[in-house]
Amino acid sequence: MTRKRTPSKDYHVDRRCLLLGSAGFATVGLGASSLGMPYIGNAAAAEPIKIGMIWAKTGSIVDQAEYLAQGGLLALEQRNNMLLGRPAEIVWLDEPNPQGAQQSAERLVGEHKVIGIVGGALSSFALAISSVAKKAKIPYIAANAATGDLTGKSCNKYTFRLQPPVDVHARILAPYCASIGKKWYLLTASYAFGQDIKKAFSEYILANGGTVVGADEVPVGTPDYSSFILKIRAAKPDVVIGGIAASDLTTFLKQWNELGMKGKIPFAEISVGNTDLWGVGPEAADGLYTITWWFKNPNNPPEEQAMAATYEKKYNRPAADKAWMGWLGMKSLLDAIEMAKATEPAAIVQALEAWKYRRGDIDVGYRAFDHQMTNRILVAGIHPKITDKWDYFDVKEQLPQTPDDIAKAFGSQADSACKMDAL
Amino acid sequence: MLDMILSQAVNGLVLGFLYVLIAIGLSIIFGMLGIVNFAHGAFFAIGAYLAFSLNRQFGWGAALLAPILTGLIGVVVELVLIRWLYGKEPLIGLILTFALALFVEAILRLVFGGAPVPFAAPKFLAGFAEYGPILITKYRMFVLVVTVFVLIAFWAFLAYTPYGRIIRAGSRDPEMVGLLGINLPVVFSGVFGIGCLLAGLGGMLAAPLWTVTPSMAAGAIMPAFVIVTIGGLGSYAGAIIAGLLVGLTTAMTIQFQPEWAGAAMYILMAIILLVRPRGLFGEKWERFE
Repeated sequence: MTRKRTPSKDYHVDRRCLLLGSAGFATVGLGASSLGMPYIGNAAAAEPIKIGMIWAKTGSIVDQAEYLAQGGLLALEQRNNMLLGRPAEIVWLDEPNPQGAQQSAERLVGEHKVIGIVGGALSSFALAISSVAKKAKIPYIAANAATGDLTGKSCNKYTFRLQPPVDVHARILAPYCASIGKKWYLLTASYAFGQDIKKAFSEYILANGGTVVGADEVPVGTPDYSSFILKIRAAKPDVVIGGIAASDLTTFLKQWNELGMKGKIPFAEISVGNTDLWGVGPEAADGLYTITWWFKNPNNPPEEQAMAATYEKKYNRPAADKAWMGWLGMKSLLDAIEMAKATEPAAIVQALEAWKYRRGDIDVGYRAFDHQMTNRILVAGIHPKITDKWDYFDVKEQLPQTPDDIAKAFGSQADSACKMDAL
Repeated sequence: MLDMILSQAVNGLVLGFLYVLIAIGLSIIFGMLGIVNFAHGAFFAIGAYLAFSLNRQFGWGAALLAPILTGLIGVVVELVLIRWLYGKEPLIGLILTFALALFVEAILRLVFGGAPVPFAAPKFLAGFAEYGPILITKYRMFVLVVTVFVLIAFWAFLAYTPYGRIIRAGSRDPEMVGLLGINLPVVFSGVFGIGCLLAGLGGMLAAPLWTVTPSMAAGAIMPAFVIVTIGGLGSYAGAIIAGLLVGLTTAMTIQFQPEWAGAAMYILMAIILLVRPRGLFGEKWERFE
């Protein structure tokens, strides 16, 4: 026998049920209001501290950005993703172009409520993020951009820069180039980084009795350089000074070799990355460069050697210079947050100004008057024969040699175009 | 100066042939199927990465299979995705193929990483020849010869074979061809596969010259669209003439006004569209009106 169930009987809510239910809700509500309050408070305390990261996920700089991002993520992982005793997380947004970088910075601040930002793979991106950092009063570490303006005339209290600016790289590399010959051809990208290189190297060679036999500005993302190379070939310079970044440099060097120019006219460029050369291949790799870090440098401090070993174990490839830059930029911000024992921007900025990191015989840190990190630069050629697919650089020197020379190379406060604002 | 102009003109035309090779598959797919394939650059990148992988594992001989494999991937994509777009609102095709392009780039990044991978031309194609002021590398000559061969072969296939006639007829009046008992969906899969094969061939041949990264599609897709638009959407001869024009214009702009080099082909496109809105060889197709 089956009992026929009717909705009126089965889903009937009588007065007793209603009273019991109300009492139950009231009890839970009261409990929540008394016992629940501390729980909500604990949840706020355990809410993760968010750090913003803006590295390209698309576009011509994406090859470098991957390493920059991995370095940044590693810096937080080395702290077990904890800051000030609370969980911490990185929010990574894209920078497809300067406008995109600015929008990402605004989203990180407004939507994700980050307490600091690391990023800006290209100079134009970094300048865009820096303007948001200034407006929103949020600490920002530009770990890769080299344009002088960032810590020069566009400096601000919330922006710190790790990469030596173009003119410092130029002071190191230009004498090497001048020793080869004094007729220079400049091939530079048509944005801040390339324009700074054009200015710095032109001024140097003209001041030292040389000539600029040609200067071309090339658009970002140029797929074919053969017509530029034909112009260079016809101009017969002693040295070609490059100012093209990332995959653009890779493309140029491949075509430079294809058109038979490798070894015929020396090519030099500042601040290149390992990945730029790894993509060129051993057949076409050529040039004289400045680099900021090299995973095989025996002078790297133990902490960096440990970072490089951890990186290689995790990603199954050596730590490129960009991985180190992403790591150190993020590390400086995380260290500063711990030093400040607070998440307030002003406290973090003050801690960043006081932050120091020992590298061999020098203390690396951000100068208070322009927030520029001072550090040594490596001058490197390319091995005549490349046997290890990761080892292209033949490091010649680590310059400037003494702490005084480093200070001189980076310029004094009197030389700086930075007029630092207040907090 | 005359020497330099001559040198740049020849270089521009050689570069133009590479652009033609990249663009022709896009033109064929639009001309035959009516699909504006935003994922064309993605198939270009797939061709480059397949060539890189096969070359690393088995040598250059195996790398020659890369375009064929790209074509087969194209056939699968047509069967799974593109087939449902025929006769539909063109915007759906644009969105779907754009999403496909992003998806392919993400897959390449996941498999190969974001950093560029090294890829060089075979040793026997290294070096260059000089004829007075003109310098041509052996590799670019090889690309030119392959492009010309492919263009002639595909034109002959369309003009002189029964399959070519079916494709041409099907592109104009698919209903009538279907009524004649011809399995048109299979033909369309083949056409899409051929378009992707040509994109893959372009990717394989461009790989020793360009940087092989997952985002390399961006460097190919824009010139390809400009060329197809200048030549007239779907016009085979138009794509060839437009490719050479773009190569020549780019080279001359670099010689005289290098800072305008990136914008030159867009300015050329704007001028031509002002004069001939359908492009140089664009026709009125009742199917797309």
